[in-house]
Amino acid sequence: MATYLIRRLLLMIPTVLGITLMVFLIVALAPGGIGAGLAVQGGQMSDTSKVAQMQAYMEDRYGLNDPVVVQYGRWIARVCPVRFGTTSLESPSGERIAVPRELPEPPMQWAFPAPAAFEVTFTPQSGDALVVEFRTLQRDAEGRRRNYVGLVRAFKDALADYVRVLGAPWTERLDPKGGADPQKFRDLPHRHSAAPKGAAAAWAKVNAAAAQMHQAWSLAEEARQRATIAFAARPFPPAGIEVIRDVVSIDSPDFGVAFSRNRPVWDLIKTALPVTMLINLIAFPIIYLVAVPTGVLASIRRGGVADIASGFLFLLLYSVPVVLAGVFAIGFLANNQYLGWFPVSGLHDSAEATMTFLPHTDSFGVWQRGWLLDTIWHLALPVLCLVYGGFAVLSKQTRASMLDNFNADYVRTARAKGVPRKDIVISHVLRNSLLPLITMFVGIFPAMLGGSVVVERIFTIPGMGSLVIEAINLRDRELILANTFMISSVSLLALLLADILYALCDPRVAYE
Amino acid sequence: MRGIGARAAKSFWADAWDRVRARPGAVFGIVWISIMGFFAVFAPLLANAHPILMEQLAADGSVEARSFPLISNLTPTDWLLMAGAIFGLPWVFFGPAALGRSLRIAVLAALLAQGGATIVLSQVFVWTSEGSSLPWLRAWARLDAGPWPLIALAGLLSAVVAVAVPIILSPRRRVLAVAVVAAASSALVWATGAPTIVNHEKILLDESAGRIRAVWTLIPWSPEYTRSDLVAQAPGTQVSEVLHLDGFRGTPFGARRTWLGTDALGGDVLAQLLWACRLSISIGLVSTGISVLIGVTIGALMGYFGGWVDLLLYRVVEIFMAVPTLFVLIVAAGVLPRNTYVMMAIIGIFSWTGAARFTRAEFLRIRQMDFVQAAQATGLPVRSVLMRHMLPNGVTPVLVDTSFAIAAAITIEATLSFLGLGPDGQASWGKMLSSATAATGTFVWWLAVFPGLAIFLSVLSYNLLGEAMRDAIDPKLRKAAH
Repeated sequence: MATYLIRRLLLMIPTVLGITLMVFLIVALAPGGIGAGLAVQGGQMSDTSKVAQMQAYMEDRYGLNDPVVVQYGRWIARVCPVRFGTTSLESPSGERIAVPRELPEPPMQWAFPAPAAFEVTFTPQSGDALVVEFRTLQRDAEGRRRNYVGLVRAFKDALADYVRVLGAPWTERLDPKGGADPQKFRDLPHRHSAAPKGAAAAWAKVNAAAAQMHQAWSLAEEARQRATIAFAARPFPPAGIEVIRDVVSIDSPDFGVAFSRNRPVWDLIKTALPVTMLINLIAFPIIYLVAVPTGVLASIRRGGVADIASGFLFLLLYSVPVVLAGVFAIGFLANNQYLGWFPVSGLHDSAEATMTFLPHTDSFGVWQRGWLLDTIWHLALPVLCLVYGGFAVLSKQTRASMLDNFNADYVRTARAKGVPRKDIVISHVLRNSLLPLITMFVGIFPAMLGGSVVVERIFTIPGMGSLVIEAINLRDRELILANTFMISSVSLLALLLADILYALCDPRVAYE
Repeated sequence: MRGIGARAAKSFWADAWDRVRARPGAVFGIVWISIMGFFAVFAPLLANAHPILMEQLAADGSVEARSFPLISNLTPTDWLLMAGAIFGLPWVFFGPAALGRSLRIAVLAALLAQGGATIVLSQVFVWTSEGSSLPWLRAWARLDAGPWPLIALAGLLSAVVAVAVPIILSPRRRVLAVAVVAAASSALVWATGAPTIVNHEKILLDESAGRIRAVWTLIPWSPEYTRSDLVAQAPGTQVSEVLHLDGFRGTPFGARRTWLGTDALGGDVLAQLLWACRLSISIGLVSTGISVLIGVTIGALMGYFGGWVDLLLYRVVEIFMAVPTLFVLIVAAGVLPRNTYVMMAIIGIFSWTGAARFTRAEFLRIRQMDFVQAAQATGLPVRSVLMRHMLPNGVTPVLVDTSFAIAAAITIEATLSFLGLGPDGQASWGKMLSSATAATGTFVWWLAVFPGLAIFLSVLSYNLLGEAMRDAIDPKLRKAAH
């Protein structure tokens, strides 16, 4: 069993990788690519040059200019529990601090030589002073890096302007790949008296932008080196378990920061996942408790009223899409225009904090429903919308496997022995028919997780479904990926659980 | 026929069809699907905001000019569907007996698919080449007489693919049929061109003032024609009841009714309901077609070759099975362009595992059978063994399941449209359903009940049909029933 478990767990890894890669590729296929949401964010600013610099910063921060596969690899490296390279640190608030990243080189060094590389040396402080110093240096490095990346974009824009002013006959002589003689490139507008008007001015702007960029690079590089040295002095303890210092460590997955909310993705998932699991875990027993007895009854009285009626009713229910049931439930049962019996949205009443757990009568003699009943009251319609679809599938399966077993030899033997019919049904047939129902879990669970997206949306419940729809609308890549990762992991773990249960219930199954 | 009282044995499919027809549920399903199909094909003639006939009247009442706005605004798809329904269906039912009905159905489906492919391809070509970096390609896409080189290319491409499909066995006839369809569909796309922009408001005002005389369709509304002064009107509302201040009282427009009410944007619900049949049916059929194609191909490879091919491909199947499909579909539909074709493709791509597993199991079984061993022993190429011998004998369980797959695809389409991730600019039942619970908190019952009923009946029909087909074909169940 243990070997089987380990093998299954290991096989889950490629599956999860496959699913996340698929989602990553889909998001990358989207118009505007992975950074579309970031670009939209930048678009809310009025000043166009500010927008460009903001975009440049975002691209730099999230590595959006790299090929998709590289970006995916980086994401995997963050999520993978085994980390290579310099160990990240963990601040007391639980924030992961990675080593300051290398700066990208200034572009077009063949035409605009960058300042010479330099090495900063300084001795960081120790103890609490180191923490303060590191924080300052880190903020400094981040700010200067941002400034530098923005100026690189400004330099490129100035260059593009210059080329546009020059017009076609001149730009043809320039080799954009960088093979041209730098001197020729620099002198171009000055050598030719016939150069278009404004070329000299545009050129001056390019040079000014280059100078600014180089200055910013020197500042950013210096700040980065200082921050790196302070980082190496370890102001905080290393995150996770360090196996070999700055080579291999083991850490919990880092899902990054959801830029639409500016909060760690894990925080959002930590509040959303239990809600979704709660709804699904309430729904499952209800499905089994209704469907299995109905299926058993239908198989005993095969062709009878109960069989035909339950088959027809469940097929009708099966044909009702969740969206339809949800809209009807919220419209006719919850809306005050009609019955208004149930709350329209949310998981708890707004006065949740003041409620007692169990219902009681308060000092004014008024009955208070309390937290538990309130939650049940709020959950009634969402759970109702989740359960009815599974009835048909499960009861049909129960009925079919019961009928299969009724025809089996051992049942005939039992009958011949004179075992009472009740005992045959319950301890022979039903017992053996329950096994396939465990595997049915495999089919129903992923579908139910999908269905809860719709239910959460209709009843405005703050679960994984609401989270993923929000993430999609805002094109929040980190949130989308982490959501998919969590949902597929939960779904795979559930499948594994079903297999283990199967092995426990059926002595014939031996996973070795 | 030999012997007295001897009867020719019915073919497998004819027998199955008779069994299906004997079930009232299946008959109900077929009837409703036919009704939906009728609306899907003839929606432009039934519900249209363009008048069929418009006559400009001079001051003395004589007719100055005549025009047919409805006809001139039909799209190539409309023409293709109507031609298929008006000429193709009678041919299928009453055509030459020598061909056999199943062959006629296959030929009609193939030719319609070829025509449809031409239309879609030419749209895609024009769309992509308009944004191309090549100046000559852009110029082609904007030719005054329609971008005929691109259209001709689309026609040629789909014709080449269609010629390779071995439905009509005689090569000369096959080439002829394919060439005729290619020429006709290309000419259709070229002739219809871009739709003209019609000022509905001006037509209505002119009609009220007696400057024109117009003949309208049965439901004189289009799904995309919305009036902000007719928002959320109850079913049966007469226009003049709402717009009593304007000069519409006593005019033909004022006498109009919105039979099933209007939606939150002021569009007619009945018109949208009819037009949405088209989206639902086409997404159901095309996405299931895609998923069956992928599933059967992969399943056949797994079942026939076995070994490491099976092992590797089955891992892929497992990945797709563990994916919470709706979840990934929501992500895909959310970030990809909101387009009917994209939606068909993604639904198809994420729902093929069932077909693959059925085909795999069936092929694993058939592979051991004598006729396959014989075919292999004769030295037939793998292609022939797979396509000619194994496929016709192994595809039945998949075909039985298609009906359920179509029902699932319709549900998914409704769900995605409900979440606001459906195709842009298309009437959709799911979209209407989502506007039933408005942001203001009021519940508009006619936006929930009518589209909801349509979705429910369609899904139920396909499920009933699938149930009947499964019972009719599944030998295990049939044996158990006796």
